[in-house]
Amino acid sequence: MIAVGGEPFYYLEFGDIVLYFSPVTTTLFVLALLFTLFVLASRPERQVDIAFGSDAYLAKVITPGELHFRKFMATACGLASMGAMVTGDVFDFTLFASLVGITNIGIVAAVKNRHVQNAAYQYGLVSLSATVPLFSGAAMVAATTGTLSLIELAKGTYPAVPLAVKSFLVLGIIGEGMAPFYAAKAEMFRAPGAPYVIMCSLSSLLIFLRVVEIAMTM
Amino acid sequence: MIPEILAALFFGLLLLGLHRKVVARIQKRPGPPVWQEFLHAAKFFWKQTWVPKTASSLMFVGIVLVGIGIWVAALLVVIAGGNILIIFGIYMLQKIVEHGFGLSSGSPYGKFGGVRSVISAASEIPLFVSVAAIALFTHSLALQDIVAYQAVHGPLLLIVPPAAFAMFLVLLSKMPGGPFSVVEGKELVSGYKTEHFGFFRAGLYVCDGLKTTVLLWTFVLVFIGGLPTAGFIIVMVILMIILSFTCALTPMLTPFDSVTLQTLVTGAMLVYVGCIAAMGVPG
Repeated sequence: MIAVGGEPFYYLEFGDIVLYFSPVTTTLFVLALLFTLFVLASRPERQVDIAFGSDAYLAKVITPGELHFRKFMATACGLASMGAMVTGDVFDFTLFASLVGITNIGIVAAVKNRHVQNAAYQYGLVSLSATVPLFSGAAMVAATTGTLSLIELAKGTYPAVPLAVKSFLVLGIIGEGMAPFYAAKAEMFRAPGAPYVIMCSLSSLLIFLRVVEIAMTM
Repeated sequence: MIPEILAALFFGLLLLGLHRKVVARIQKRPGPPVWQEFLHAAKFFWKQTWVPKTASSLMFVGIVLVGIGIWVAALLVVIAGGNILIIFGIYMLQKIVEHGFGLSSGSPYGKFGGVRSVISAASEIPLFVSVAAIALFTHSLALQDIVAYQAVHGPLLLIVPPAAFAMFLVLLSKMPGGPFSVVEGKELVSGYKTEHFGFFRAGLYVCDGLKTTVLLWTFVLVFIGGLPTAGFIIVMVILMIILSFTCALTPMLTPFDSVTLQTLVTGAMLVYVGCIAAMGVPG
């Protein structure tokens, strides 16, 4: 057993739902919190696009309705990321990860642009498909060990989680928003709104770091 | 702690200056003095500064502070012998910071730099394979445990050389003018840095200085082990010269080729780590 994230120094219990704070999970939680506060406090950029074939340029303006919806989605994404960082339960982690996927789609789909909405739709399909390995991975963890608690699994007294099961979890997380689907997200950058699109990348990064920690801990 | 941070910043900027000097000499140019990056940083502190009209103001300013903050945090983790997962997480967060730099300005050049930064995140994947290979041997990701392991068993550089190579690729991807430096391609003006000038650009130099020291120091600690201070400085200088030679002698790849090459390396590393795990680790 490997103490990947360091020893937890604080447990927060809500009945049988336990959140824990280790050096790694706390660092990731603070980063998610910091960027969520940025999203809440920032006004969006006004993206400038060059008009090809001329020397003109276009400045895109975000309407108040779109701004409020995207800010809501980005904030929800930040909260889901924070939950995924400190949860001590594999199933809760998969729930938070799928919520991150949904909110990422929402951040992008709010933009009324054909290219951006196509990207959101395709990403939605990938994200939807990824829930199969994601949740089945969590189910197989319970089936092979009898528990979903990361704190219990880290003790090393339970049977080892098979590599295939860990691979399912990682595959699910990749589908929910990580590289190599990052490249597809480039289409999303047609969408203006600096702090909101950044939440897509940040949440993907954070849940990937967390799933690495979880896979190495189990 | 302030003296350590200033020392790391100064040393990092000197290393970047050395990088420019070595590359210039290989190209038969005299090159700038070694302390040029330090002079640049000092100069930009006093230059005029403003926020573009199209920018997301808070993000435009705040992302500079976040960039400095994460690398100061990474430095403190290295000094404290903390968890390398935190350091590598901060390294990956640098991509988000670059993305933030590019997107917050509203400029198309900055935006393309930010997009490339996100696409080049593929270079981080080999890094995680390195982590897995290290963990298989040391059974811990705390720097102090990794150093202690090497004091008994010898440098990990000799035990898991492919992992060291993967980490070297990651260092290379952060070097100016390197084969994977698609983020700072000249066709993008200054990439994600384009709109950040004056005081903000000085903040970027602070990030670069700290980042260089932290990454090279981490590499030495993880793959060579504990050394006296002079030993660390000498090894880091040698490592920087090797990186500079590599940068000077290799062309800058296109974004597609860059990601493809890194993905191939990742595949090879996965097979390597899988073989180690299957065969079992001695000791």
